[in-house]
Amino acid sequence: MRFETIKDLEEYRQGLLASAPDIPHVWVCAGPGCLANGSMEIYEGFMKYADEHDLKADIDLKAEATGCQGFCERGPLVTVRLSKDANEIFYQRVRPKDVPEIIEKTILGGNVVDRLLYRDQATKSKIASTSAIPFYSHQKKIVLRNCGQINPLSLDEALAADAYAGLAKALSMEPAEVIAVVKDSGLRGRGGGGFPTGVKWESAAVVDAPQKYVVVNGDEGDPGAFMDRAVMEGDPHTMLEGLAIGGYAIGATRGLIYVRNEYPIAVDHLRIAIEQAHECGLLGKNILGSGFDFEIEIVRGGGAFVCGESTSLMTSIEGRAGVPRVKYIRSTEKGLWEGPTVLNNVESWANIPQILLNGAEWFKSMGTENNSGTKVFSLVGKVKNSGLVEVPMGVTLREMIYEIGGGVLNDREFKAVQTGGPSGGCLPASELDRPVDFDQLKAAGSMMGSGGMIVMDDHTCMVNVAQYFVDFLVEESCGKCTPCREGLKAMQTLLHGLTSGTAKPGDCAMLKEIAEHVRDTALCGLGKTAANPVLATMNWFPEEYEEHEKEGFCRGGVCSGLYALEIDPDLCTGCTLCERVCPAGAVSGEKKKPHTIDKHACVTCGSCIDACRFKAIKVVRRSE
Amino acid sequence: MVEVTIDGQKIEVEKGTTALEAARSLGIEIPTLCYHEGLPPDGNCRLCQVEVTDARGRTNLVISCMYPIKGPVEIRTDTERVRDARAFVVKLLLARSPHSPVLQHLAEEYGVEPLDARFVPEDETDLCIRCGRCVRACATLGNNCIEFVWRGWEKEVNTPFKEPSNSCIGCGACAQVCPTGAIRVTEDETTRTIWDRTFDLVACERCGVRFATPEQLKVVSPEFKPVDGRVLCPRCRKLEEARAVASGLGAQEEN
Repeated sequence: MRFETIKDLEEYRQGLLASAPDIPHVWVCAGPGCLANGSMEIYEGFMKYADEHDLKADIDLKAEATGCQGFCERGPLVTVRLSKDANEIFYQRVRPKDVPEIIEKTILGGNVVDRLLYRDQATKSKIASTSAIPFYSHQKKIVLRNCGQINPLSLDEALAADAYAGLAKALSMEPAEVIAVVKDSGLRGRGGGGFPTGVKWESAAVVDAPQKYVVVNGDEGDPGAFMDRAVMEGDPHTMLEGLAIGGYAIGATRGLIYVRNEYPIAVDHLRIAIEQAHECGLLGKNILGSGFDFEIEIVRGGGAFVCGESTSLMTSIEGRAGVPRVKYIRSTEKGLWEGPTVLNNVESWANIPQILLNGAEWFKSMGTENNSGTKVFSLVGKVKNSGLVEVPMGVTLREMIYEIGGGVLNDREFKAVQTGGPSGGCLPASELDRPVDFDQLKAAGSMMGSGGMIVMDDHTCMVNVAQYFVDFLVEESCGKCTPCREGLKAMQTLLHGLTSGTAKPGDCAMLKEIAEHVRDTALCGLGKTAANPVLATMNWFPEEYEEHEKEGFCRGGVCSGLYALEIDPDLCTGCTLCERVCPAGAVSGEKKKPHTIDKHACVTCGSCIDACRFKAIKVVRRSE
Repeated sequence: MVEVTIDGQKIEVEKGTTALEAARSLGIEIPTLCYHEGLPPDGNCRLCQVEVTDARGRTNLVISCMYPIKGPVEIRTDTERVRDARAFVVKLLLARSPHSPVLQHLAEEYGVEPLDARFVPEDETDLCIRCGRCVRACATLGNNCIEFVWRGWEKEVNTPFKEPSNSCIGCGACAQVCPTGAIRVTEDETTRTIWDRTFDLVACERCGVRFATPEQLKVVSPEFKPVDGRVLCPRCRKLEEARAVASGLGAQEEN
């Protein structure tokens, strides 16, 4: 099969849609979380059962392993749809031994398996339909619309879900018109900076050069972030299509995808997708008869955080050690191999096909002013429903954490939410009603980043959080410029002093001064934002810094040796959980009666705080 | 040509001239460490910062060694913000290399209060500021024998696998361009040792001064081909050439 024209492609797509049999469909999530929990065994279970019971793949059921379905917390996930018009049935925490029951009861019998349904925490009722589950019902999926819905290795399924329709439309327009649509849509770079994508394209399009490039940043180095991975693994064609549209718009014939080597499945799926698209003429020479040539290659990165910075990434592609360069001349003028280069993040590219297909107005109808569209977040940390979510820009942090996320784990008190990864900052409870978009987060001293969102409860020390990120950044700094290399190390020394109780008077002031200077003088974007974790926590939680410096007290109950623990006799039920987890044998008491902690034996590890279900363990100041 | 204002003085410069070049042409001194006229700039030490106000009135700190003048901007090289930023860089570098005379001098000039002992590394004799002038010199003039190894705070300059490099020619260009004297070159009567490798030194067949390694001569030839069958040092070479010219023009006057 080879598509010579746009008409060929559309006819083939119509044929696929018309001939699709209306049979029960099973989607087994093979995203990273579910995969680690054994979802392949479940998928194979379906195949094996079908085989043994003589079920026909085209008549009785179609079972598929898909990309990430998002609700990682409840994985492994299996979604079943009995017919085209039926609601999807959402099964969670599925084990391989549940497979026969799902087939017999649901697929053959038409009934739901009650015990595998999701139970809503608020209403205590079970919910069968995916779209009725709060985690999903508040979402709006554009980038992730195919993730978990199609088999990422099947070009036909991608085509049936509109793949390359956006490219076909773009190829029938002038490049300048394509750029105008992207500009009008208001799409801003999803990698974190939020630079208007259309403006970037335009500045590369106007440069006259023999060879231009479009590049995908799939380096995703933030701890706890997996948005781009989900797109590359679960729906590779959408990103390839976006890249080809970008290439056409700016006049580039070469696209490069920079993926970290730690994402082997993403690399595999992309490679297969490129081959598939190439074979049928959706990539290569004279695409769809338009005269436009475009080739895509994959470059695997070694997994350095700094290679997520655009100039480092290009240096790395060129085969040198990934260090940034001074950016007084933009990459759109002189980037990769000195050619004009447009570099966008995975999520930005994945937005493009839908924008072309549905128009700028459609995209602008979502989100807020100057922040159109949606954003994908990986919602993690001390939140009940951790997973991958896509929401329209402008939803509040409260909606994200309490409606979609289901609230703080174990119903503990919310303390802060960290956005933007190591370049971002923490926001406190008073900021929960702030809408989430580029400008709002920046105004609050944090940033959107690529979309990591880490929820923290009251058993969190904000100084320790800052230290965690600074430790990470010291490890990942490339060491090229003085402020980042030496300044971060000095910040690390000060933070370790604060968390170990050896700080000197004035250390917090010194920390702030160094952090501000690093922000103002570092070379690259990552260096400039490296001070954010410290500056943001200092801004919102100054009292914690002060207590660490002046009293050697950690109210979060995290910094070992800087607090004491007590059990509130009114709240303690004598369940003995704390006694059992205490590694020092410091807790004692009779069953069903309030327990006590021997402060001299306690090693302040904080295990009991996490174990207690009645919030009876109190963090108090040490009494000398 | 673009007209710019630097510390109140107006000057016309070619588009693309760096702020540093423009300032120096007016005799305005801006301190630099990683910058060297003979090498491609890298902009890593961050010492040469200046303030630039563009046509739209936005003021930014930039590094003058790489900031290209593209339009009519106003540059200020000695504001409080500039001095503060430079002082910060000096303070950090001084903590790493407290015994560096170059840094001590800069610290004095910018009124830098050194960081306390907690910030000084165990090996306080390290003079290297990781500016990479040596690396760029070796890449430009030599054989690419040294590079940065490791990253972040652990970053340092070394030969591959920290072993004596086979391709090093012992030219010493790296040491020559080092702004802090961190690269050790030791010479005795007949040998030169650098990067853990000892080279023989070739003596000038006229004055007897040992002036280069044989490996170095091989790389810089043909300019260093023997004169009348003799290997000469640059000084004697010039003398010999001058003599030859003089004898051709009129040997009598010389005598």
